[in-house]
Amino acid sequence: MQQLNRRDFLAAGAALGGAALLGGCGSSSSGGSASSAAAKTTPLSKRPDIAKEPGNLSILEWGGYEAGGTKAQTSGLWAGTPYTQEFGKHSLVYTYIVNDDQSLSKAGTSGPFDIMHPCNEMLPSFVSQGLIQPWDTSLLPSFKNLNPFLVEKGQVNGKQYMIPWDWGYASLLYRADKIDPADATGWELAWNPKYKGKISLWNGSGSNMEVAALKLGYHNMDTMSDSQIQAAKNTLIQQKPLNKFYWSSEYEQMQPAFKSGDIWITYAWQDAFVSMGKAGLKVAYLNPSQGKLSWFCGYTLGSQTKNFFHAHKYVESFINHKACVQMTNLFYYGTADKTIKPSEVQDHKLAKQLNIGDPTAIEASDVHLQSWQPQRPKYEVAWQEVLAA
Amino acid sequence: MLTAVTPSAYVVIVLLVPIVLIGLYSFGLITNVVGTHAAFSTSDWSDFLTGAGNPFRGRFFTSMIVTLVVSGAAVLGAYPLAYFLAFVAGRHRYTVLLLILAPFFTSYLLRVIAWQVILNNNGVINSALWQLGLRAHGHAISWLIYSKFSVALVLFYAWVPFVALPIFVVLDNLDRRLLDAAHDLGAGRLSTFLRVTLPMSLPGVAAGFVFVLIPTTGEFIAPLLVGGPSSQLFGNSIQAFFSDTPDWQYGSVLALTLVAVVLVMLALFGRFIGGDLTQPEAEGA
Repeated sequence: MQQLNRRDFLAAGAALGGAALLGGCGSSSSGGSASSAAAKTTPLSKRPDIAKEPGNLSILEWGGYEAGGTKAQTSGLWAGTPYTQEFGKHSLVYTYIVNDDQSLSKAGTSGPFDIMHPCNEMLPSFVSQGLIQPWDTSLLPSFKNLNPFLVEKGQVNGKQYMIPWDWGYASLLYRADKIDPADATGWELAWNPKYKGKISLWNGSGSNMEVAALKLGYHNMDTMSDSQIQAAKNTLIQQKPLNKFYWSSEYEQMQPAFKSGDIWITYAWQDAFVSMGKAGLKVAYLNPSQGKLSWFCGYTLGSQTKNFFHAHKYVESFINHKACVQMTNLFYYGTADKTIKPSEVQDHKLAKQLNIGDPTAIEASDVHLQSWQPQRPKYEVAWQEVLAA
Repeated sequence: MLTAVTPSAYVVIVLLVPIVLIGLYSFGLITNVVGTHAAFSTSDWSDFLTGAGNPFRGRFFTSMIVTLVVSGAAVLGAYPLAYFLAFVAGRHRYTVLLLILAPFFTSYLLRVIAWQVILNNNGVINSALWQLGLRAHGHAISWLIYSKFSVALVLFYAWVPFVALPIFVVLDNLDRRLLDAAHDLGAGRLSTFLRVTLPMSLPGVAAGFVFVLIPTTGEFIAPLLVGGPSSQLFGNSIQAFFSDTPDWQYGSVLALTLVAVVLVMLALFGRFIGGDLTQPEAEGA
C-alpha cells in the first residue's frame, strides 16, 4: 500500500480544518434563525395528521418523571400511562438532566427534543434562544383544570410556552436525631463546622448561589451584582470543605447516602423529606429564617418537533387529574391541577405542612421563588470556580 | 494513492478536525450560544494562563500530580502481575491473563459504582471491620470514599490490568538465554532482575505508563462518583463547562490545554517506547 507522505497528510488536514472553519463561522446564527422560524405558530390545518408523524418522542427530562409503563420509570409514577398504552412504551427516548444548567445546555446542544421539562427560571432563556414554541392549549383537555396562577407564569409575551406541572420547595433536610435544634435555624446550618463531612449540597450552580445569597442576607438572590456574586462565591468556597460530596443524582447519590447515615444534612426537595421519613429516619425539613427556596417546572414543546400532536397527547397524559393526584401522593410535590381535593391526598398532615394544595405558596412572604437570573452565565462560572478552588 | 488516503483521511477527520473545532471555540471564532456573534478573543486564554489566582490552573497542576502518582503506582502494581504471567504462570499465562481482563469487558461506569458499595460508610469494608470487632459499630472509616484516596484507588484498579499488558508482552518475549547467561556468570536472581530483566522491560514499562497517563489526565467519571469536593480533577472542569454552562469557549481553552499537554507527554515518553515490544533489544546486541 502506497504510504501518504507528510506533505499530503498536512494538506488534507489543512483542507478539512479550513472546511470546519468555514462551516463553523455560520453556526452561531444559523441554529437560531432556523428555530425562530419554527417557533412561528403553524395553523393546525397545515400540520400533518398525527398518523403521519414519526411518533418517536425525544424527551429531555429529570430522572423519576419517565412515563408510567416505560422500563425507565421505577419510582411508581402513573403519569404518562395513557400515552404509553396508546402509542407504546418503546416510542419514548429520554435524555436526562441533573440540574437546571444542564436543561438549557442540553436543550441547545443535544437536541432537537420534542418535549423538554425545564423549571420556570430557565423559561425566558429557552424562548429567547428559539428552543421552544407555544403549545396549542385547545389540544389539552385538562388544561382548563390548571391553576391560573401557574398558567400565567408559564407564559411569555402572552403565549403559553410552558405547561406547568410540578412545584415545590428546596431547603435543607437534616437528621433531627443528629443535629442540635439550636443549630437548625437557617441556611447557615450548611456552614456549621460541627457537621463537617456530614453535609452534601446539590451540584447545581444557580441554586447554590441563591442559598449563599440568602445566607449572606441578599434578598435579590437572582439579580446579584458582580460584587455580590463574588461574595457568594467566596462563602461557598468557605463551605466547600464541610461537604462530604456534592450530589448530582437525588436517587443514585443523595438519598442512599442520607439513608445510610453518610450525610446528615443535605440540600433537598420535599420528596426526599417524605422518602426518608418513610424509611424510618428521624428527619426534619428546615424552615430557614431567611426563607426556603421554591420552584415550579413544566413541559415545553420543542421548536423543531415533528411530533406536534404526539407531544400534546404526552403532556395531556401527565396533566390529567388522575396523574396529578398520584404524583402528589408519590412525591408530595404540588401540581398545577387546581381540582385536587384535600380528601384525595393521602397524608393530610404532610399536605398541610407543605401547603401543597395551594401553588401560590411558592410566592409566600417567607419563600423565595427561583426565578430567571439575568447574570446566570456568571453564576455558573462562579460555581465552577468554587468547584475548582 | 486512494487506498493510502482513506485511512489517513479517517485519522484526520476523527482526530484533527475536532481539535481544530475546539481551537476555534477557544478563540471565540465559533460560538454555541444562539443569538450571539462569534468574535476573535484571547481573553479566556490569558485568563487561564496568566490570570491571578485562576482556580482552574491550580486544578490543572493538582490533577497532573494525581495523574503522575496514579500512573506510577499503576506501573508498580502491574509489574509484579506481568512478571507472574511471564515467568510463573507458564502455559496457563494466557488463560490467567484472560481471567484478569474479563471484568474489564463490563461497563467502566458499573465498575466505579461497584466501588461505592465497597467503600461506603456502610459498605463492605466498614461492615467487615464492624463484624470482626476491629472498629466500633457505626464508626466508619469515612475517608475511604469521597476522598482523594478513593479516586486514586479506583483509577489504580481500573488501569493496572491494562498497564500489565505491554509489560507482559516485553517480558514474555525476553530472550531467556540472556537470563541463563547471567546466572552462568554468577549473577543472583535479584541481580539478574535488576541488571537484565528490568532494563530490557523498560520499553514495556514506558508503554504501560503512557497507557494509564493519557486517559487519566482527562478522567472525570471516577472523581464524579467516588470523589469529594476537593478531589475533582481537571477533566471534571472540562466536562462541567460543556454540560453545565454555556461557556464552551472557556471549556475549549481547558480542553485544548489538555490536548497540548498530552501531546507533549507523548513526545517525551514516546522516545522510550520506540521499536517492537515483542523484540526487546539486548544491551550491546
